[in-house]
Amino acid sequence: MPPAALVVPTAKTSPESSLSAESSPERGDLGKNRGFWDLRGVQWRTDLGVLPSSSSVDDVRRVTANTRRSYAALRRRLLIDPLIPKDGSNFPDPVMDNPLSQDPDSMWGRFFQKAELEKMVDQDLSRLYPEHGSYFQTPGCQGMLRRIVLLWCISHPSYGYRQGMHELLAPLLYVLQADVERLSAVRKLYEHYFTDNFDGLVFDNTDSAYRSHLKQIPQHIENHTEIQEDQVKFNNLYELDPKIQTIISFSDAYGAEGELGIVLSEKFMEHDTYCMFDALMNGSGGAVSMASFFSLCPLNGPQNGLPPVIEASSTLYHLLAIVDSSLYTHFTELGVEPQYFALRWLRVLFGREFALEDLLVIWDEIFSFDNTRLNSENDSEVLNSSRGAFIAALAVSMILYIRSSILATETATCCLQRLLNFPQDVNLGKLLKKAKSLVNIAINAMRSVPPRMYSDGIHESVKPMGFSIHSLPSNAAPPGSPLSVVRDSYWEEKWRVLHEEEKKQTTPLKQSQSQRKGWSEKVKSRLLRTESDPSSSKAYSEKRGPSRRVRRNLLDDLARQLGLEEETDCEKAVCGNGGSEENSSILSDPPSPIGGVNDDNDNDNENDNEIDSEQSSVASNILVDEPEPKPEPESSTAADSGNAIQEVDENGPVPVSDGPEDATLLKGVENEESVGKSGLNLKDRIILSGKQWFWKFGKNNGDRFLEKAGDSTNSSLVGHDQKGDMDKGESVNQNKICSLKNLGQSMVENLQVIESVFQQEKGETGHVDNLSKKALVDRGQMTAMAALKELRKISNILSEM
Amino acid sequence: MVLVLAIGDLHIPHRAPDLPAKFKSMLVPGKIQHIICTGNLCIKEVHDYLKSLCPSLHVTRGEYDEDSRYPETKTITIGQFKLGLCHGHQVVPWGDLDSLAMLQRQLDVDILVNGHTHQFKAYKHEAGVVINPGSATGAYSSVTYDVNPSFVLMDIDGLRVVVYVYELIDGEVKVDKIDFKKTSTATI
Repeated sequence: MPPAALVVPTAKTSPESSLSAESSPERGDLGKNRGFWDLRGVQWRTDLGVLPSSSSVDDVRRVTANTRRSYAALRRRLLIDPLIPKDGSNFPDPVMDNPLSQDPDSMWGRFFQKAELEKMVDQDLSRLYPEHGSYFQTPGCQGMLRRIVLLWCISHPSYGYRQGMHELLAPLLYVLQADVERLSAVRKLYEHYFTDNFDGLVFDNTDSAYRSHLKQIPQHIENHTEIQEDQVKFNNLYELDPKIQTIISFSDAYGAEGELGIVLSEKFMEHDTYCMFDALMNGSGGAVSMASFFSLCPLNGPQNGLPPVIEASSTLYHLLAIVDSSLYTHFTELGVEPQYFALRWLRVLFGREFALEDLLVIWDEIFSFDNTRLNSENDSEVLNSSRGAFIAALAVSMILYIRSSILATETATCCLQRLLNFPQDVNLGKLLKKAKSLVNIAINAMRSVPPRMYSDGIHESVKPMGFSIHSLPSNAAPPGSPLSVVRDSYWEEKWRVLHEEEKKQTTPLKQSQSQRKGWSEKVKSRLLRTESDPSSSKAYSEKRGPSRRVRRNLLDDLARQLGLEEETDCEKAVCGNGGSEENSSILSDPPSPIGGVNDDNDNDNENDNEIDSEQSSVASNILVDEPEPKPEPESSTAADSGNAIQEVDENGPVPVSDGPEDATLLKGVENEESVGKSGLNLKDRIILSGKQWFWKFGKNNGDRFLEKAGDSTNSSLVGHDQKGDMDKGESVNQNKICSLKNLGQSMVENLQVIESVFQQEKGETGHVDNLSKKALVDRGQMTAMAALKELRKISNILSEM
Repeated sequence: MVLVLAIGDLHIPHRAPDLPAKFKSMLVPGKIQHIICTGNLCIKEVHDYLKSLCPSLHVTRGEYDEDSRYPETKTITIGQFKLGLCHGHQVVPWGDLDSLAMLQRQLDVDILVNGHTHQFKAYKHEAGVVINPGSATGAYSSVTYDVNPSFVLMDIDGLRVVVYVYELIDGEVKVDKIDFKKTSTATI
């Protein structure tokens, strides 16, 4: 491909279809020295890595053909009709594969899941780009978009379908359509070259055309002189404008790979769009993968604690702080978190902030930047490539564009309004120039700053807990494993539960037992994670020494009270006859993973004694546990009271400053008291769990902090399993009443959590540095959100019951 | 791909308290497009429960039904198939195939769904298909006490109907599958 001179594309790249051909002068200025001029589709495909950047036409065609073949195979595989038994040899067992089967992995289960997915996708697609509806709302286009999105989501079940994916997809299809239209325009002009050159002989495309050609011969003879001139002009392919050359050689039906290799082809638009979409989402091995913006799990496993979008937003803010600190401080004063607006910006790659034509230009720029990872050791950084840097720089330059109006705002909502209603008529040229100037700064910024700004031991946030509530059972396993595209419905969860229980052939008692155990395991594993950060926790414990004793008294009282209640409850043993047995077995379970701490065979008496003796140390340990345990992304449960308690307790000892801490801790204590007090026989399960929690803190007094790493991993593994059980462990068969009442109780607790969060926010003073304060506000809001989500879940489950 | 649930002879509350739990867990709203019920529900609450599973509910009158407004027979067209519904206590001898075939010709349907015997049956004979979903609760019948709870789910797809039979045998749900094809669009 001969390199082009700096050609300003004179022909408009926007097709004649739905758009009014606005000619903004800025776009003309941005003519660049690119390989494929106004063939945006091809250019983007090269940038995204779908097509090789080699200059040989044959290579390009071959790769095109391969990608199309893979898509065709994928489509054939996934869009099967569950009814039709193709061979008849693989007749599924009717017990497994009937339409009413709850088994989500059966063919019918997948069919219904796919139907649900389709419904969601259709909802979004119907609202896609209504202003360009004449293209995007046509059934053909919608069908293609739907198929592509569905196939991608089915083949990437860990991501599922999230709103916004269709908006990423639409412009990709659009540019391909534009290319095809350009092709047909060129065809009309240069018809001569599109004839089939088979074996060097020139044949007309169809016989009828040949015949009409014959008819035209007398006319030709008349126009002989003109024709001769034309023919002289165009005899040699290489005399043509190189742009046209490209187009022609790309669409030669007899080139490499035949029809499949025609790079600009209307027939294979779906295939090409899918490949582009896939490459865009995966990042093609580079750093910026759009899919990560949609995922809720942190990138590198549970330790990081932050979903990638949050990380990217914080990078953005960091860059803004470097570039324009006054604006940054303005944001932080108002309490505007970056992800409020950055989420939308990043997830759709600014698709919602600009009109389609402008967006195409912007994406040109974004894709022209290379996506290879910059610092290899900084794997966790989500925007870690020059493309990522440009995205951040562009976002910052957008913010700077409306700087004056932002500085004029007084409240967070006002500020967000300005940000989210980005002005329509933007001087793109200026914006992009500014962005490009910031790219280098961004790259340096990313290199210098440690990747996770909030991840010092002190402020491990519980944000993922809030997010992970969304994807309930699919996060029970480690984030990489695909479980379901659509969240399992309530009945399918139950089915899984029942079948797992049956497989294990445990007694029915095990269900409620495992639920409790699972909760205790979860708490324990959180504890152990905390302990693996001995330094930070120790530091905190020193700081908090003096205030500790004050609160000890309060908590002592509470613990004693709970202990008393528990003793009475032990005798009553309302929930099933094996209540007391459960107590002993549950309480004896935790010690074993902690490395056989104490007595293995507890009886009730010993339990009570231990509990009493540990109460004094309980209080201190609650406070020492302030460095929040790194939350697991799978810390999501439905209406589990245990979770609510945890939230309550985490909010209790949140450290901000000395003054409000008392208030919050008191509030937390109050919550726990109310837990203890309200309704003995209903809540004995909760109380028991609470007790265990206290008791375990007792166990982990001081010297326990240097926990063996092996044990912690063991128990965290166990915690995973148990929690998996516990997640699904809501007993359907038994204790329905108990669970109903627990639901009620957990609703109350969730409400209290939210209250405490608000109180905590009110009580905050601003003398802590900005970062931690933000994190705190975040955390508070996240816990509140988590609580709200749990409330919603509870109400759903209740309504289903 | 229309899913049609054929169910009947529940006799709630007289002879049985409720559907078996395993059946109940399988019957979730949203999957089934039509429910045809042979009769003997017997009370309104059961009718409401079935209505909650699917709004399109067709019931014929059984001899113990408390709602006397149900018709004796009903014909429904779903896809390419005409389904006839009748409780079956009107057809004497009860459960006799030839008499039922007579009813089928009378109603001019491809598939006749009837109950009353509390025994699952699915026959194909020259005029069409006769299906008896049995009793979903396992209630005793006028004839026998030995009844397994069962119901039928039909998957109507073009000219083909796949009949899934769900039976509760010894506490386990057993599923069986039968294929019927209609030979032409004209009545057989």
